[in-house]
Amino acid sequence: MTLSQAMFPWLLLTAAFLFTLGALGVLIRRNPLVVFMCIELMLNAVNLALVGYSSYLNSEEGQVFAFMVIVVAAAEVVVGLGLLTRVFSIGRELDVDDLDELKQ
Amino acid sequence: MSPSTAALLAGLVLLFPLAGSALCGLIGPVLGRRFVNLAGTLSIGAAFAVTLVIFAQVLGAASGHQSTTATLWNWLDLGPGNLNVSVDVTIDQLSVLMLLVITGVGLLIHVYSVGYMEHDPGVARFFSYMNFFIFSMVLLVLAANMIILIIGWAAVALSSYLLIGFWYERESAVLAARKAMITQVIGDVALVIAAILIFVNLKSVPQICIPPPGEVCALQLQSSQHLFTLSLPQIFANASSLGAGSALITLICILLAVGAFAKSAQFPLHTWLPDAMEGPTPVSALIHAATMVTAGVYLIARFHPLFDLAPIASGMVACVGMGTAVMAGFIALSQVDIKRVIAYSTMSQIGLMIFAVGIGAYAAGMYQFLLHAFFKALLFLAAGNVIHAVHDEQDIREMGGLDSRMRVTAWCFLVGSLALAGFLFAGMFSKEDLLGFGLINGPGAPALYIVGIVVNVLTGLYAFRLYGTAFRGEPRSDAARNAHESKAVMLWPVVILAGLSALAGWILQWPIAFGPHLIDAFLNPVFTSPGSGPIAKAPSLGLGVIGFVIGVTCSLIGIAIALRIWVRRDLDPSRVLARPGLRLLPRLSFNKLYFDEIYDALLVRPTRALARGLRRVGDPVMDSWIKGVSGVATDFSSAFRTIQTGLIRDYASYMVLFVVIFTVAVMLAAGLAK
Repeated sequence: MTLSQAMFPWLLLTAAFLFTLGALGVLIRRNPLVVFMCIELMLNAVNLALVGYSSYLNSEEGQVFAFMVIVVAAAEVVVGLGLLTRVFSIGRELDVDDLDELKQ
Repeated sequence: MSPSTAALLAGLVLLFPLAGSALCGLIGPVLGRRFVNLAGTLSIGAAFAVTLVIFAQVLGAASGHQSTTATLWNWLDLGPGNLNVSVDVTIDQLSVLMLLVITGVGLLIHVYSVGYMEHDPGVARFFSYMNFFIFSMVLLVLAANMIILIIGWAAVALSSYLLIGFWYERESAVLAARKAMITQVIGDVALVIAAILIFVNLKSVPQICIPPPGEVCALQLQSSQHLFTLSLPQIFANASSLGAGSALITLICILLAVGAFAKSAQFPLHTWLPDAMEGPTPVSALIHAATMVTAGVYLIARFHPLFDLAPIASGMVACVGMGTAVMAGFIALSQVDIKRVIAYSTMSQIGLMIFAVGIGAYAAGMYQFLLHAFFKALLFLAAGNVIHAVHDEQDIREMGGLDSRMRVTAWCFLVGSLALAGFLFAGMFSKEDLLGFGLINGPGAPALYIVGIVVNVLTGLYAFRLYGTAFRGEPRSDAARNAHESKAVMLWPVVILAGLSALAGWILQWPIAFGPHLIDAFLNPVFTSPGSGPIAKAPSLGLGVIGFVIGVTCSLIGIAIALRIWVRRDLDPSRVLARPGLRLLPRLSFNKLYFDEIYDALLVRPTRALARGLRRVGDPVMDSWIKGVSGVATDFSSAFRTIQTGLIRDYASYMVLFVVIFTVAVMLAAGLAK
């Protein structure tokens, strides 16, 4: 399936919208689980843009990169969720504003 | 001896003590006392064995070929016209004689130390330092390059510092070590300045070629040019380019002499030696007999081609030596610490050696060095036995009556005292020999000879005051009453040294007790350049006999007075000394002529006051701008600290913010570029 020339800007706009939504979510929400989901949203927004460009430029490279992003996202979720369960298990509240040990 | 053999043998003599030092220091503490005792003494034993081989080689070499200079490796090469330092060694009669004493007497002292340090927990450290001491001294003696010589020179100072402060938990030991080090550094600096002066000024001496009849010289009169070298053979060969008797060579020689005075504890750099008695007794023996204090005598003897050209400096050396000899003998009369009396006797005897090399009687000075090494090591080791027996008491007023309790030690000490005083044994030969040269050589001869005669009387006095007070009479403390003889390992070295002190002089001097001796014949090729005789004229036979008889008589007078005062006690010096003119003398002697107090008032206190004053001024000045600089940095960083909240949310916002800014900037730049 090829993308029509006219649809391509709308696709990019959709991706930008989704990315902004994810970024705002990361900055605003306090629940780390939701933060993670927002990060996923950002990553997938990027995936959409990559695939869209791939189709628009008629090149496979964008799709290959999309796969890479999916793999990285999976790995990142594994690490992130592991950290979250650890934080939970030591009896800390799941709140990103409560976890400020980075400043030490 | 070929240079390669020389390099091999010299390398071995250097390597053994160094390896022993490393073994004892690094793995000694792990492997324990027995290993340390073995490694520490065997290394010196091996060095002594190699020295004997070298000695045989030198003795066997054809006349005129005994001196060999070899290069171990090239250490530093900065190109032509610049500093080149190769690790050169010279093996000749002088260095071999020194090596024999350093390793031979050193070996006996090491064996003795096995017994002396039996209960000390730091024995591994002790043997490591002792071996390093021997190594430094060997390096100093073998060096054929002034840089290498200075390295050995400084390493000797370092090892003396480590050993004097061996019992570092005693404050007095630490202070004594520091004092020794500071005095040594004064000498080091003088030596370095002398080296720089030589390096800058040394020129090659034009070789005048006299063509054989019918031939033409291949090399015509070379022009003289700067050599830029510190290699000793080259310095000596071209010494005359510094100008005989010139101010320059006098200055160089005085600087060399200052270095020698610091090492050999001569006035005015002598105050460290009595304090150095804070170290363990074998260390004192090593410093006084085999190493360290004799380095100064060696230095002047080694640099004799320079001193021969600087009569003013040589005269100064002779006067300082004789002055120190009298001064130290006077102070030794009233000291009460057994080791300090011997220390002052060393200073006095070394003064005589310095006098001998100052008047150009180098072989006589080295003869005194050799025999002195025997009886001084003997006296110190015997004193160590005494100190052990009376439970670390060093005050001779607390001793007495030890001759019936420690028979062997007492006999050996008597031999040592006789040798020191110069009657029958070692000292008689060497001292009268060098005083005989003083009869007709040196500044204002025979003025210094007459002073030397006084030294003889003083030596007899203090030597037998020490023997009489410590060994004769009734015991004056419980410790002395219960004293007992030491173990075999501490007795045998003493007995061997006593044998050497008693016999060495007779053997070397056979068949007559005055005039030329074997050491003279052995060493003179080193001290005479081809075509010229020895610098100091030997006294004629008749004069020699007269000098000998006068000298020995004076020694005997000293001994006899001492025996009457301190053994038979039928002569009381206090009545004589109560006379108004003489009342000051005992106080002066007991307080060591107030040298420590004078130095304290003249040097230490002003320096301290200066430092305190500078601190008062310097603190505000220096600190203000340093604090200003650091304050700016602190303010700068504390401004940035507030953004480090630790919240992921904030960090993510910064990231987003700067990505946006960056993106906009790139787009704007791209737009402008169009």
